Amino acid sequence: MASEKFITEYRQDMRIIRTRPQRVWAIIIAVGLIGLPFLLTNGWSPPANLPWGAWMTVINLSLTAIIGAAAFNLLVGNTGQVSLAHAGLLIFGTIVSGWFGPVLGWNFWLVLPISLLLGALAGLVIALPALRLKGLYLLLATLGIYYFGYFVYKAFLIANVGFQPIIFQIPRVPGWFPWLNDGDTGLAVSNNFRWYWVIMPITALSLLFMSNIIRTSEGRAFAAVKARDTASSLVGVSPVKSKLLVFMVTSAFVSMSGALQSYFLSARGEDSYPFQITLDYAIMIVLGGFSSILGAVFGALFFYGGPVWIDWIRQETPVLRDITFLTSYRSEINLAVFGLLIVVVLVRSPEGLSGAWKRLKAYFAKWPYSL
Amino acid sequence: MDRFITLFASGLSLGAVYALVSLGFVLVFKSTRVLNLAMGEFLMIGTYIGYFLITYLGFHFIPAILIVAAIMGMLGLFVHYGVMRNLVGRPFFAIVLVTIGIAIIIRGVILVVAGPIERPRMKGLSAMPVDVLGAKVEVYNFIILGSALALVLGFYLFFRLSRLGLHMRAVAENLQASSAMGISPDRIYALAWFISLAMAGAGGVFFGHYTASIDLNLAAIGIRAAPAAIVGGLDSIEGAIVGGLVVGTLEQLGAGYFGADYRDVIPFLILTIMLYVKPAGLFGSPELVRI
Repeated sequence: MASEKFITEYRQDMRIIRTRPQRVWAIIIAVGLIGLPFLLTNGWSPPANLPWGAWMTVINLSLTAIIGAAAFNLLVGNTGQVSLAHAGLLIFGTIVSGWFGPVLGWNFWLVLPISLLLGALAGLVIALPALRLKGLYLLLATLGIYYFGYFVYKAFLIANVGFQPIIFQIPRVPGWFPWLNDGDTGLAVSNNFRWYWVIMPITALSLLFMSNIIRTSEGRAFAAVKARDTASSLVGVSPVKSKLLVFMVTSAFVSMSGALQSYFLSARGEDSYPFQITLDYAIMIVLGGFSSILGAVFGALFFYGGPVWIDWIRQETPVLRDITFLTSYRSEINLAVFGLLIVVVLVRSPEGLSGAWKRLKAYFAKWPYSL
Repeated sequence: MDRFITLFASGLSLGAVYALVSLGFVLVFKSTRVLNLAMGEFLMIGTYIGYFLITYLGFHFIPAILIVAAIMGMLGLFVHYGVMRNLVGRPFFAIVLVTIGIAIIIRGVILVVAGPIERPRMKGLSAMPVDVLGAKVEVYNFIILGSALALVLGFYLFFRLSRLGLHMRAVAENLQASSAMGISPDRIYALAWFISLAMAGAGGVFFGHYTASIDLNLAAIGIRAAPAAIVGGLDSIEGAIVGGLVVGTLEQLGAGYFGADYRDVIPFLILTIMLYVKPAGLFGSPELVRI
């Protein structure tokens, strides 16, 4: 009898869920994802005044950001194409959805796939420098894309809504199902609870798509391009094709995440996209961990959830609560804490939160023989 | 024509600040292979300290610059020994992200210490208009251009003629050989950080006299100086100076004639064109690719 689970076929080795504990985890996560919003919105009162009310917004925001962060991780971590273009692509997604949505009045459910497709086209254009440059020079070349995008965004705002923010209308679920009805035909996706059921499936499908890409021959080609692109062309991988493809896929997802975020936040103005956005996504994937989808999930949750959590600690700790300095500069201090965390994480444990999670799992798997 | 001369003169002084900042970029990159994206934030620290010294304490321009440069140089030593030294041999993107982390820390600290309010520009230099070919140009433009160029020239002579400069060039050229000859790369790296941040601090004080208002948007100049470094060549001292002047002048002329919205776009347009035509820059050495 086998003392452990052995992998005897390549098909087994390539599955997303390979072992029994992973299957258990997948079920727990699925149940948690479905149960979570009911728990958070039904006035359940947890111990120690944890601000549950605030979490719903945080979760929705991080779910939209997870798409962008996972795409960024696929691009930088798995394919080694160091690009800072994602802030520009979020702006691109906002422009596309703003043009088709509020300006032309198309339906949200149509605008979202359009932003995905046009994002892929934009990715083709952004990939052009990647064909010629790599490493550091690619990073510098993509740095400008934010500024080009912001320039167009400003012109777009002034041409269409003047100096106000652009308002995205509340999307409605079509009235096909009698139980999804709020008086009018269909259901307005108007609160956090309803948004969760729109955003969560989109995020889950996007993550599934991206983790499937990594398992295909294209995904292995990405890894070969990351390792050494000139050498990979000698063994039959086409670096040009791989680079174009990875930029197309990731740009499409980032653009869609921008569109989704715009609709969720409903108003996007001139100051919605500061240069800081470029850095925010870098924070997410660094803290979460490079080259893993799980890292993007951890990173985005930590990025949006961290401030709420830090606020909670500050309010509940007796000594810290009385220091007015900490309360009046809370967002500034959060910013500095994030910067400090990046430096500490990169210097001390480069795999980030997902690496720490893996170490924790290894510890329990090997117990009592672990360190 | 008057407008052109005014814009050209202020473009040159902006370019001189760019030259200082991109010199800081290039110096650190050449010796340690670290691309310091926090350069703008370091410059901003210089501006804020300079503002405090000149506007609050009433210091004269020259001692203020010296004090700021000394403080920033010490900060450079701290950055090297405290952070960067632990990162030798890591993939370059990780190191770039560490500089981004430092940039975020600086932003947070400045927000806490100085607050988000805009402050007027410093008044340590005379703003008396001078007549140049019939156009009026404020005199501080010439002072900024002159003193920035003097600093750059001073550094250039140090780099070419002094023994320490020789050591720096040796480490940049061949790390193993130079350490075999008894040069400590660690100390050379620290020196590079010291000089680089001192340059940024001086540039910050200059820029504080030039900019319309002092607030957190100042840091964008660090990002806009990256094109200047690329145009000149990322590993070329001469290139940093030429690139800074070219980019600064073109940016100022473009912003003057087309409108302020084009200010951020122009340096990056230049950058993109340059990367397509000649990625190594005007004076840089082309990178060799290993298969």
